[in-house]
Amino acid sequence: MTYKVIGKRVKRVEDPRLLTGQALFVGDVTLPDMLHAAFLRSDYAHAKLISIDVNLALEVSGVVAVYTAADMGDAWEPGPPLVSPPPTLENVVFNSRRQVPLVKDKVKHAGEIIAVVVAESRYIAEDAVEEILVEFEPLPVVVDLEKCLEPGSVLVHDDLDTNLAAHLVQNKGDYESARKGADLIINRRFQLDRGAAVAMENRGIVADWNEKNQHLTVWDATQSPIPIRNGLAARLGLTQRQVRVIAPFVGGGFGPKIMMFYAEEMVLPWITMKLGVPIKWIEDRRENFYATTQEREQIHEVEMALSKEGHILGIKQTIIHDTGAFNPYGLTTPLNTQSHSMGAYDVQNYSSEVIVVFTNKTIVTPVRGAGRPQGIYIVERLLDIAARELELDLMEIRRLNFIPPDAFPYEHKIIDQAFVPLILDSGNYEPAFDKALEMLGYEDFIKKEQPRLRAEGKHVGIGIVPFIETTGVGPYEGARVSVEPSGKISAATGVGTQGQSHMTSFAQIIAEHLGVQVTDVNLVTGDTAEFQWGTGTFASRGAVVAGNAVNAAASDVRQKVLKLASKILETPEKELELEDGMVRVVDIPDQSISLGELALLANPLRGAVEPGTEPGLESTKYFGPAFGATAFGVHGMILEVDPETMMIKIRKYITVEDCGTMINPLVVEGQIHGGVSMGIGNAYYEKLHYDENGQLLNANLADYLIPGSTEMPHIDVHHANTPAPNNELGTKGVGEAGAIPVPALFAQALENALHDYELEILETPLSPNRLYELLHKQEDPS
Amino acid sequence: MENTFAISVTVNGTPYQRSVDPRTLLSDFLRYDLGLTGTHVGCEHGVCGACTVLLDGEPVRSCLLFAPQVDGHEILTVEGLGTLDDLHPLQEAFRETHALQCGFCTPGILTTLLPYLEENPNPTEEEIREAISGNLCRCTGYQHIIDAVKLAAENMNP
Amino acid sequence: MKVTGEHIFKGTPKQVWDLFRDTDVMAAALPGTKNMEAVGENEYEAVMNVRVGPVAGEFSGTLVLSNEDYPKSYTLTVEGRGKPGFLKGTGDINLIYQGENSTLMEYGGDVQIGGKLAGVGQRLIDTVSKSIISQAFDTLDEVLAERTAAEEEGREAEYRKASEKDYAAAVAKDIVGGFLSAPWMKWLLGVFIVLIIVLILIISLT
Repeated sequence: MTYKVIGKRVKRVEDPRLLTGQALFVGDVTLPDMLHAAFLRSDYAHAKLISIDVNLALEVSGVVAVYTAADMGDAWEPGPPLVSPPPTLENVVFNSRRQVPLVKDKVKHAGEIIAVVVAESRYIAEDAVEEILVEFEPLPVVVDLEKCLEPGSVLVHDDLDTNLAAHLVQNKGDYESARKGADLIINRRFQLDRGAAVAMENRGIVADWNEKNQHLTVWDATQSPIPIRNGLAARLGLTQRQVRVIAPFVGGGFGPKIMMFYAEEMVLPWITMKLGVPIKWIEDRRENFYATTQEREQIHEVEMALSKEGHILGIKQTIIHDTGAFNPYGLTTPLNTQSHSMGAYDVQNYSSEVIVVFTNKTIVTPVRGAGRPQGIYIVERLLDIAARELELDLMEIRRLNFIPPDAFPYEHKIIDQAFVPLILDSGNYEPAFDKALEMLGYEDFIKKEQPRLRAEGKHVGIGIVPFIETTGVGPYEGARVSVEPSGKISAATGVGTQGQSHMTSFAQIIAEHLGVQVTDVNLVTGDTAEFQWGTGTFASRGAVVAGNAVNAAASDVRQKVLKLASKILETPEKELELEDGMVRVVDIPDQSISLGELALLANPLRGAVEPGTEPGLESTKYFGPAFGATAFGVHGMILEVDPETMMIKIRKYITVEDCGTMINPLVVEGQIHGGVSMGIGNAYYEKLHYDENGQLLNANLADYLIPGSTEMPHIDVHHANTPAPNNELGTKGVGEAGAIPVPALFAQALENALHDYELEILETPLSPNRLYELLHKQEDPS
Repeated sequence: MENTFAISVTVNGTPYQRSVDPRTLLSDFLRYDLGLTGTHVGCEHGVCGACTVLLDGEPVRSCLLFAPQVDGHEILTVEGLGTLDDLHPLQEAFRETHALQCGFCTPGILTTLLPYLEENPNPTEEEIREAISGNLCRCTGYQHIIDAVKLAAENMNP
Repeated sequence: MKVTGEHIFKGTPKQVWDLFRDTDVMAAALPGTKNMEAVGENEYEAVMNVRVGPVAGEFSGTLVLSNEDYPKSYTLTVEGRGKPGFLKGTGDINLIYQGENSTLMEYGGDVQIGGKLAGVGQRLIDTVSKSIISQAFDTLDEVLAERTAAEEEGREAEYRKASEKDYAAAVAKDIVGGFLSAPWMKWLLGVFIVLIIVLILIISLT
């Protein structure tokens, strides 16, 4: 299908507001009589709460109230289970333990909330927090993923006799039989550590209970306003219509802003209903490091069986996944790791055990990539190791194992976060892979450039890593599209926006159908008063699930427009075209009517309409896919390492991305650049350093290093296009893609650059310091 | 307020007289006392650069200054550049090249670049990377920002 | 984490031990100490101001002394909490006479820190701790020399108490030096804390 607006590099409609400081973020909300909250959080990672004395805090001038768990009475209850384990999985152990609004008896990770101060200003509230006297009884802390399972270990949850949060096994084929026929068995242990999402905007909430209207309005920097609205109504004993949640402009999400309910999301609405005045809290960066969710810490014991030609016969692994102190987000992340550990390859035999553990650390929920980078890391590392052992070319072994194009839809069989056995809908991997090699100049680099540079004493290495990304999972999203008498289009969808350009991409879809300018579309996202059905912005699904709902609604409105215009212009529908905000008779431009006039006619003030006619030119549609759309990509890079400082210079970085139909290539490229940036952080700069007492040792942006402009390379992006067969637009998600292969890519390229050290990298993230240690260990085994 | 400090400051060309608690951060003063919420606060410890404003033409971190420190000075915030209907060429270039996604860090990057481009009308990619190395952006990977700066440099110095 | 260190005093173990038991001396050696009182036979409470880079505030702590073997060794257990966070640790202190009026003090301990001090102060803790340690030992050396001289001359010893200003200046100087020479990301935070513990303990002994 040839599109006029979809697929074009359209400038964003949201930009003028953002560029001039006129876009509303939660922090910008100010209401009359608004009070401010500050939280007292536990410094201890594990401690009994003996007593709290708030009297001195209450004496601080300007303090209105101080609350502890005891004050909440019956309103004190843990957050709801956000995601349950897939009911389709058999023999799952799942011990659900959810975060609490205020700590009642025992602190389970540093940063949990002990008390909240409500005051006239944030300054005063923070002063008063320091006046609260708390008696703790510090307890031994458990942070290690394996030690926490040993008999007699300290328990995070005393009502469980174990720190096991979940256990499940998924099998495909028969690994043990496959193993018997193998020529090569590789066993490795991989250690993957934690990182933070670090959206530039911290979280924030303004809650406003209007006693006279009996209505609650909450501005929340969340990725998921509708479920927050529904959950708040349930918690507070209100109807869903009495609660409006607005996620206005949100300054980056990257996963953690869909965790719910955060303690603060439970506490602030309760306070505004108690006091009857608006209350505001904006998370500071230090709070963000302790209270906002994190991800990626896992230990893998893996075995891969191969033929001597390099065919993967099977993979077996045990994954220990750290969920932190609570597990509200169910099994989403480890399930993603499980399904992505076969990568883009045809693996017929797979045996995979997942052990999820509780530790005294911040809660784990998906962060951009959500378990997928770990899975890709495992399979790509194993292939690198296998190729070396079998003396095969690193690229050939991948080609040999790719799922061939005629195998789609490919039954992957592992149940993933969509709750059904995964089916890879489509793909054409090898041409994209070849393209990546060509873009990187692989042959030339290996044969000429690298030997020449090595002769000069330079440590230059090359890496190429393919990956898949499951995207666009259900359950569903919806959209409403409406032509207004002004000729402008209003539209709304339930998914909020955190920078993904929804207001532009969705407007392009609408403009395509209705023949209007993108700037004529006013799209509202993330306001439950505008659209109240949906789940949220996560799992690279906006363009797929909400995009196709917008597409369906816009297409339906187009049909309504054509039907009415056909009647008025006395011309068959197929002879009409929608262009420049008008419906015209093809080839007779004078015979036309504007969309605005049609909208007026569709909503008459007097007279009779045909029975059964809906007013207006409006449609609400939903899209719910049976299974997701699986994207594919290849990243490649050439880097140089200074073996003295271990600082790196990325000389070239390329990606080939196949996300099916692109709505806006400019936006897709932006998503990839950003994803790569987070991936580079994950691979070489960002690690949350927890000590053995559950203390985070780098809880600030001066010590937790996210890539800056000087760490980032120029990235060349090439678009391949295998349209998704199961949705009208043919879109596949791309939001997380950029981040997924980067740690595996770094490991491959660093090993190649430091080939003379015979380095084998089995961990991520690395850092200059860590790489130095690894090389040093290599040189000096003692 | 028991202990207040009277300050006079010109922000985006408009003179203001306000009485503030002496410990009020410049960022909070701009955002809440003056309602100029375009200046964003991302880390409160001077690392991320989102809160950058111009103090007498020089980029400063408004989260690291107290409001009384700017008494008698001139401040320029993002609201002092273009308007919704009439973007500054630098803002226009950001839009043209998709140099912002969530847009939270953008005000601080624009204010950092404004004086930079005046002094360096034709920067190389390397120089642009250096110029914005004190501003963190989690969305863009900086590449489109660099494209924007190049484009702005062309458009501002034809 | 484990922390160890040593220092050579010009004096006998008994002189050093006595030095440590002098509140005035220890208050001078350890800037920021506000008060110290015995709350049990071998238990003390102390309050001191701590400043590590951007993290500052008052610490109050409990110190418990055990395994006392005068004038050779003792064990110290400390728990402290305050706005900057918390610390918890146990240390062993040994005084070894090396002849020629020279005593080697060895200290080794296991320390935990938490809160802001850990999460935000980390970057500077290494340099600040080294600075405090070297300042404290300098002061103690001076005092010891003055005592020895006074004893020889048969007069009362006099010593100058270091001001907070001197302390801050010295820390600033060391931080600048640290930026120029110290490798980053060394997690030797404990040295500082152990020293505080040692010194607080010492004060508490008086």
